[in-house]
Amino acid sequence: MSIELAIALSVGAGLFGVGLYGALSQTNLVMILMGVELILAAALVNLVAFWRYLHPDVMAGQMFVLIVMTVMAVEMAVGFGIAIVRFRSRGSVEMEEARELKG
Amino acid sequence: MSVSIGQSLFLIFFGAAAVWFGVVVFRTHSMVRSAIALLFSQTAVGAMFLVMQAEFLGVLQIMMMASEMSVMAIFMVMFMMDPGGLGAMDMTHQKRLSLWAGGIGLTFALAVIWLTGWGPAAQAAPAAAEQTAALGRELLGRSMFVFESAGLTILTAMVAATMVAIAPTEEHGR
Amino acid sequence: MSIFAILLGLAFGGWLMAALEGWAVHGRFSLVRPLASALALLGREAVVTRKSDRLFFETAPILLLVAGLLAAAVIPLAPGLIVADLATGALFLNAALAYVLVALIMAGWGPDGAYAMIGGWRFLGQFIGYSMLIVMPITAVAMRAQSLSTTQIVTSQAALWNVAYQPLGFALFVVAAMALAWLPPFDLPSGTGDLAGGIEAEYTGPRLAVLRLARMVVVLALAGAVSTFYLGGWLGPWLPGWAWSGGKTLAVAALMLTLGRHIPRMREARFLEFCWKAGVPLALVNIFLVGVIALVVPI
Repeated sequence: MSIELAIALSVGAGLFGVGLYGALSQTNLVMILMGVELILAAALVNLVAFWRYLHPDVMAGQMFVLIVMTVMAVEMAVGFGIAIVRFRSRGSVEMEEARELKG
Repeated sequence: MSVSIGQSLFLIFFGAAAVWFGVVVFRTHSMVRSAIALLFSQTAVGAMFLVMQAEFLGVLQIMMMASEMSVMAIFMVMFMMDPGGLGAMDMTHQKRLSLWAGGIGLTFALAVIWLTGWGPAAQAAPAAAEQTAALGRELLGRSMFVFESAGLTILTAMVAATMVAIAPTEEHGR
Repeated sequence: MSIFAILLGLAFGGWLMAALEGWAVHGRFSLVRPLASALALLGREAVVTRKSDRLFFETAPILLLVAGLLAAAVIPLAPGLIVADLATGALFLNAALAYVLVALIMAGWGPDGAYAMIGGWRFLGQFIGYSMLIVMPITAVAMRAQSLSTTQIVTSQAALWNVAYQPLGFALFVVAAMALAWLPPFDLPSGTGDLAGGIEAEYTGPRLAVLRLARMVVVLALAGAVSTFYLGGWLGPWLPGWAWSGGKTLAVAALMLTLGRHIPRMREARFLEFCWKAGVPLALVNIFLVGVIALVVPI
């Protein structure tokens, strides 16, 4: 077993844990987005680690990293679009006040 | 077992920095500090890519996150009730549940990582210049469809987010 | 070895440019004045505002300086005279310069002053405009060189400099570079006259000296990037390579510092409109043209 791979994956696990805590515990939409960004960063670390230590010759591994970066950008754009609309109509993006979204 | 001490040490250093800045994001009260801490966490992740010899991806990550997180910072200032954090108000809910969820996720992932036999590690990665060229061939060759759909997704998201966010005016709206 | 050469070049260039900027602003050319005012700044009292975000306040000038130095590290002065010849040099330059934005936002937020904060956030608005115009012309340059390495970009221009090969990209890149270094007419974040110095408003003493020095380093790094990407870097007859690249860099920096002083300042809404409605389509046309030329005519 390669110790570097385990270290990199552990960092990914740490980022995932922190991000999950943040996404669940924060009340503000923007802060929740930050938690999601951390979770995606964890995915990035894992993908690069798998590429480097298991399949360094297969470039599809690096391509997946680019796709995840795309997902990060899209998530930010759509999230902020929703945040702007919500802020305009309700005056806040606090998720505790978004009870009407509950089905 | 292949151990390259320098690589492991740098991975530990930047990894610890990434996780620590990630924790700072949710511990500080100042919203701009929170966004900048997330930026430095992502930059440390980019530095980890550089340590793992993925030069293009590392530089790209460091570049993209600088702009992304700066935009994050201004949204924080716009939408928060107390962006400077001088009031030190608490903005969390279901804290115990979240801690448990994060902790269980972390423990589970760590157990999987350290209990799995990952097989032998690859020794050498291709040189940076070859890697960049090979990535380009991959993107515009075998994986072109995936790459193009990612581009299309970004375009759609840009248009949709702009449409949603434009203020309704007198002549066209409501 | 080359680190010292580059640092020495940056120090000399910065001094010369400061003298030149003084000439453009005050109408008197003096080589001693920049040194004198730098020494005076070092000796002056360093005021810290009340309730400032101390961490950001102290870090911002240093982060700006580091960003400028890192950007200068991938610019070749001559074959072999480069601090870090990275395979992704052109992208690295971008990444380093992206931190100029972070530094300015920190400098704007840190001191807890209204003018500074407006200046910092204005620069973010400006960034949304110019960022695409930095990246897309560089894409066209890298397409011709078939490499992101800055040295290979220079050697790819042996037959014809990029300024003649892709003049559209050159024009867009220079405009974007001037916006990045917040030079007039894009000096919104520090606008003298309407923001009282903007991000520089609350900085005094040694911190202001570092901030000004860092800004000059950023300007020189950008001028070096222009000369590397479009003006053939060290290529040129008779003189040694470092003299050519150094001379080109200084000339570009001088032009960037003086050109825009006679144009009225551009509001960032107008700038944004120009960048996204005219600049981005033009940059795409540039990429398309370069692709067609590269396929049809082998230069």
